Formats: sequence, C-alpha cells, structure tokens
Amino acid sequence: MSVLGRLFGREGLHSLAAPYALDALEGAERLRFERHLERCERCAAEVRALSEDAVRLACSAATPPPPALRDRVLTAIRTTPQERPAGEPARVRTGQLPPHVWGIQPPPRPRERRVPLFVPFATATAAAALVVAGLFAVQAHRTQDELAAAQARQREIAHVLAAPDARATAGRDAQGRTIGVVASASAGRAVVTLSGYAEPPGGRVRQLWLMRPGAQPRSLGLFEGDTPLVASGLTRSATSLAVTVEPDGGSPRPTTQPIVQLALNSVGFGE
Amino acid sequence: MRPRRGGTAVQADQLLLLVAGGDHRAFEELYGLVAGPVFGLVRRVLRDAAQAEEVAQEVLLELWRSAPKFDPDRGSALSWVLTLAHRRAVDRVRSARAAGEREQRDYLRSSATAFDQVAEEVEAGLEREWVRRCLDRLTTLQRQSVTLAYYEGYTYREVAERLSLPLGTVKTRMRDGLTRLRHCLGGVVA
Repeated sequence: MSVLGRLFGREGLHSLAAPYALDALEGAERLRFERHLERCERCAAEVRALSEDAVRLACSAATPPPPALRDRVLTAIRTTPQERPAGEPARVRTGQLPPHVWGIQPPPRPRERRVPLFVPFATATAAAALVVAGLFAVQAHRTQDELAAAQARQREIAHVLAAPDARATAGRDAQGRTIGVVASASAGRAVVTLSGYAEPPGGRVRQLWLMRPGAQPRSLGLFEGDTPLVASGLTRSATSLAVTVEPDGGSPRPTTQPIVQLALNSVGFGE
Repeated sequence: MRPRRGGTAVQADQLLLLVAGGDHRAFEELYGLVAGPVFGLVRRVLRDAAQAEEVAQEVLLELWRSAPKFDPDRGSALSWVLTLAHRRAVDRVRSARAAGEREQRDYLRSSATAFDQVAEEVEAGLEREWVRRCLDRLTTLQRQSVTLAYYEGYTYREVAERLSLPLGTVKTRMRDGLTRLRHCLGGVVA
C-alpha cells in the first residue's frame, strides 16, 4: 500500500472509507486510516453514514442468545467498574423528563423553544433499527400457539416488506417511547410497531388511525401488547398515522388526543 | 402475548445514557434490546456458537464499561455496540483463519447449525427478508464484495483476490453496494 498510497495521496485514503466501515482493512492499514479520520472531516462523515448502512446487515442476523449469557453478563456488571472519559466526574443522568403527554397538557417549560411533538430519527438506520427491535422483541418467549399466530402474522408482514417500494420510518416522543412503520404505498399496507407504551389501564385499548386531509380519521385496528399491527387499505393521500387510547373494543372516531402521531411523507404517502 | 417486563422498550439510546450513570436496571433493559443483534452478528461471522457466546459476552461487558464514553451525536447506541461487536468478531475470525482452524470448524459444525438455523429463521426472518430483498438488488459484484467482507470477515485485499478483481474495483463496489443498500432499505433521510 505504501507506494500506491503515496501515488494516490489523499484520494487513496478517502477510498478506504467503505472497506473501513465494513471492517475490511488489515490492522496497520486500519490504524493509518483512523489517524487520517481525525484530520479529515469529509471522511469521518462518510464513514459514519456507511457504518450505519453496515449495521443494517448486522440487524438482519439477530438471534436470541443462550439464557446463560444473560445471567453471566448481568452478574459480571455488578462488580465491573465503568470507565469515565478523562476529567469527567461520575454523574447520574436520571433521564427524568416532563411527565406531560403532549396534546393533553402543554410542556411545563414556558421559556424554552416549543418541543416538537415528534422528533424524527436522525438516520435511516436508527429508524429501521427501531422497527427491527420492535419486531424482534415480539418474537421472544412464545408458546407454540403464539408462535403459530406469530408466523401467520409474519407472512402478512413479509408481504408488506416484499413490496418493491417498502420504506421504513420511525420516531420517538420526549419520553423515549417510539413508533416504527414499514409501509408500501403501492400495496397500501403498513406494519406498525409501538414500544415503551404501557398497556392503558382499565381495559382501555390503543387504537391506530389513518389521518387524511379533509377526511375523518379512519380506524386501522387495535394494538395488542407489543404485537405489530398490520394495516391495509392505506390511501396515497394519507398524511400521518396516529394512536389514541380508547375504551375497550375501540371507537368509531378518536375520543382522546393522540398519544403519538407519525408523518408518512418519507414513506411515499401524502400525495 | 406476554407483555415485556417493566417498560423494557424505552429506546436504546436513552437507556445507554442511563447506563452511563451506572444504572443496572437500565442495562438489563438495554441487554434485552441489543443482545440478540450482537450475538446473531458475532455468530454469523464466527460460525461457532460457543465462540460467539464468548465474544458476545466480552462485547456486552464492554458496553457496560464504556457506556460513559457514549456520544449520541456520533451515531445510535445500536450502531455503536454492533460496530464494536463486528470488530471483535472479525479480529477473532482472522486470527483463527490465520491459524488454519476455520476450515476444520466449518467442516465440523454441520448438525448444530441445522438446528440453530430454524430458530434464527423465526426470530430474525422479517428483517432478514427485507435485507435480503435489498441485497438481491445489488449487482453480483457489489453484493459479493459487501458480504464477503461483512459476514465472512475478509479484508478488501482478500476479497479482491477471491473475486479476481483489482483493489480499486473492490473498494468502489463496497461503497456503491452500501450506498444502494441504504437507498433500498429507505427510511428517514438524515
């Protein structure tokens, strides 16, 4: 590499961004490229983007680890100290967030900038990873019957994923709760996963709605636990999905403010 | 459907920030989110369940130890831990390959793998199918360049040798392959 490297100079190093993101550099070359990364803003940005792409390949290999691994790791961390960045004292980040649910009560921080209802994920990978985490979580701890039902649903989900225009989007609210959607505009179908939302109390249910301009929200179904909801009949004019908490059995029209809402323009809707 | 314990699904990024403060329970929840992808990836590269378990354990402990150094501005928590897991797996498979152990292990692993693959197909079938669909849309050379490196742990020089291609071509195919994969997998634009 040294002769070629000198010949090609910086361009030679730039072209190593993809092999680096795939961990396809040998030890010495990897170190040399990492030194270069510290000085090259453009390369660093490219590596970040390409690494996120590579992570998609990782997620598709997810497999439940042996239960004994969990026990060993959780036991070990009790006696394993954490490494702090130099000069930074240990501090507890409590993650305490305002208890309001947007739409029901305004955020109790008058002088701050308005908090958006919904923060889109920074990258496609983060969005997709979320959808995957939702789908993956559902598969764990199943009885045989549940597994059969899950497999039937999985076929429906596979149908959506197989559409040529299937796209993912996701977002989270201020409390870290998330919604993930894989949708195909041509098939008019979507798979929706929620995570972090506790079961509503008193037999109430979470109902999914399709929001369209100039039309009443249309019910797409009720969520059961963490099970992904497969929705069909999505029209191209749809602008967003919303989830509300409704009395047992659902409602013909939303009766409460949405607990979460997600725009569909990035997945091919809203024409 | 069994509900997940204690609101497990607070998002990984946020959990990792809690873990950085030494929160054991947050780590337990984070484990639930990342252990499957970490173990699956490492096993895919190493093709050996016992070694994969060992490496996954190292990675997950490292996740605990290094949590205070996590910088959310530089990428997602999942990306952070999977990058670490991949690096460890690749380093291990390369030294094993250098020692000539790999071929032997590949030969010996047959029955265990057959069983594992069934479970794997149920658990990760959805994302796998999606990624496979997108991989199918790459050109053959793009796909081979990306998967030989990422799933098999070959360096780009080794990939070039195996595919009888110039080094420059392999680098370009890797980059184009990943970029096309991103476009196909879609999602929120950065």
